[in-house]
Amino acid sequence: MSASDFLAIAPLLVLAAGATAVMLQIAFMRSVPVTAILSMVALLLAALSCVSAAAITPLQVGALLSADQFSLLFTALFCVAGAVTCGLSLDYIRHHGDEPEEYFLLIVLATLGAGVLAYANHLASLLLGLELLSVSLYALIAYPNRSLLPLEAASKYLVLSGAASATLLFGFALLYAGTGTLAFAELGEKLGQAEMGTGLLMAGSAMIFAGLAFKLSLVPFHLWTPDVYDGAPAPISGFLASVGKAAVFVALLRLFLEADLFRYYKLVQLTGLTAILSMLAGNLLALLQTNIKRMLAYSSIAHLGYLLMVFMICLDTGSRALAVEAAMFYLIAYTATTIAAFGLLTLINESQVEREQVQLQQVSGLFWRQPLLAGLMLVALLSLAGIPLTAGFIGKFYLFTAAVSGGNWVLLAALILGSAIGIYYYLRVVFYMTRGADEHKHTVTLSPGWSGSALSCLLIASILVLGIVPQTLMAYLRSIL
Amino acid sequence: MIVVLFYIAAVIALAATVAALTRTNATHALIYLIVSLLAVAVMFFLMGAPFAAALEVVIYAGAIMVLFVFVIMMLNLGAAGEARERQWLAGRSWFVPGSMAALLLLEMLLVLGDAHGVTSGTAVSPKVVGMTLFGPYLLAVEIASMLLLSGLVGAYHLGRRFIVRRGDH
Repeated sequence: MSASDFLAIAPLLVLAAGATAVMLQIAFMRSVPVTAILSMVALLLAALSCVSAAAITPLQVGALLSADQFSLLFTALFCVAGAVTCGLSLDYIRHHGDEPEEYFLLIVLATLGAGVLAYANHLASLLLGLELLSVSLYALIAYPNRSLLPLEAASKYLVLSGAASATLLFGFALLYAGTGTLAFAELGEKLGQAEMGTGLLMAGSAMIFAGLAFKLSLVPFHLWTPDVYDGAPAPISGFLASVGKAAVFVALLRLFLEADLFRYYKLVQLTGLTAILSMLAGNLLALLQTNIKRMLAYSSIAHLGYLLMVFMICLDTGSRALAVEAAMFYLIAYTATTIAAFGLLTLINESQVEREQVQLQQVSGLFWRQPLLAGLMLVALLSLAGIPLTAGFIGKFYLFTAAVSGGNWVLLAALILGSAIGIYYYLRVVFYMTRGADEHKHTVTLSPGWSGSALSCLLIASILVLGIVPQTLMAYLRSIL
Repeated sequence: MIVVLFYIAAVIALAATVAALTRTNATHALIYLIVSLLAVAVMFFLMGAPFAAALEVVIYAGAIMVLFVFVIMMLNLGAAGEARERQWLAGRSWFVPGSMAALLLLEMLLVLGDAHGVTSGTAVSPKVVGMTLFGPYLLAVEIASMLLLSGLVGAYHLGRRFIVRRGDH
């Protein structure tokens, strides 16, 4: 490997070195603040090193990783999201688990897995990144060791995720049997001239899609989602819903684009069907929830449904660039928004040891008690609902434009219907928050520390900036395609 | 001829896996699982991947054997246990997996003689595997080491909750 190879994968190297440093620090001296700061510094350094790596891209590193603007952008996003998750968890995890140091180590490792997924252009690195992300998440979900709910959530995720990985591997094996290669670009070349029947290759691609759709919790692979999100610690639910899904989506998008799986028309139609089902089922089920965490879990199913529309739109080669651009913008907006929404739940649950307070009644009157936290939740919910002046609106508008340019009217109808249902249940939370505090007895005593307040302001600002002045990011996204 | 052997091993693997899934006695199921893994190892060998075959035996069949030992440890031993063991050794329960394993051994002995007979046409030696793993796929090895670190840290933390130390309740 040459020096430029090392520079190109510098973010991954920094993360790996950071994980090792944090591990050694924990081994010699246990201290929560030191571990948290070291982890955050490693994550932010990794994000910064993406900037210097951008100068020498695009570059293929070894057989496994492809360093280009696309992978660097998302690695930086995941690193920042990981750092924000660390910051939000600082007070939370002290109350929820003894020996909380390894928590931060696992977040760094999970972010490394997400980074590998963003870089992967080979089925082997795709699998390794996915497993690194998932294995770290199993432990993170089960981390609080004073209650059984997280353990139950982690067991469910472990078993179902294992089945999904097996499906994925079977798909890889079928593709390899047909083409003799695992690299995305070569797959694309050889799929066209494969000797094996296209039926088997298509079955392989469909199995890969099914395995990844499980991780993205798309309908009909979504059954685990509410239980896992409900049981997991709130900051980890946020990390799982944002980074965990965005990384898998990025890898899936790259696989479809580079291996040109759009050649299998029926497979792409299958993604369209999954998208419609996810949008409708996710939103309808979210409507029935009174538990905010479960509501956000179902809403994340719906949001991944919106994103998945992109694959159908990509069938039309004319609007492919616009569709990918829309997906990238939506992923960035969705990551910021989801972390903000779960961040609020983290901050109001810092001192609740037994069971997390997430019922609708428990946020009633939040505006009068904690205006800053309520403001964070308000901005996050409006962004999820797609109200103008927030990042979510621009993201949805982008998808809308792409769908119109691709002429996918059925998908468009599902998007509009899903969003309409969504507005109702998002605004219901806002309605509860504006109630008078004296109407309810379930008042939670809150006192977010300075780090919680600072991160809340940062998240509110990033969602609003993306919503009000998105031109810079849009121009950048257009330039890297 | 070698292809026939391959399909025999494949049939044994399938039959043993089905048997492993349908046995109601956990120990019997484990024995079938081991036979199934051995059959897959023979298939790897016949396809020209002796290194993968060896790993399959060492890691999978070996690990399953350890699991087996744990099962024995957790069973209540004593007079009832001895009676049960006598029952296990009686005829039927070991004859089928035993003959499957014997058949696999016979296949191995047949193939060991001619080194050129592989179904895929090329044999992959352990040296080639090592060269590939630590050449173009070096980064994969490094990422896998991080994966192991994550599994280790997770297992340590989750295992801790079951350890009651002095001073704790």
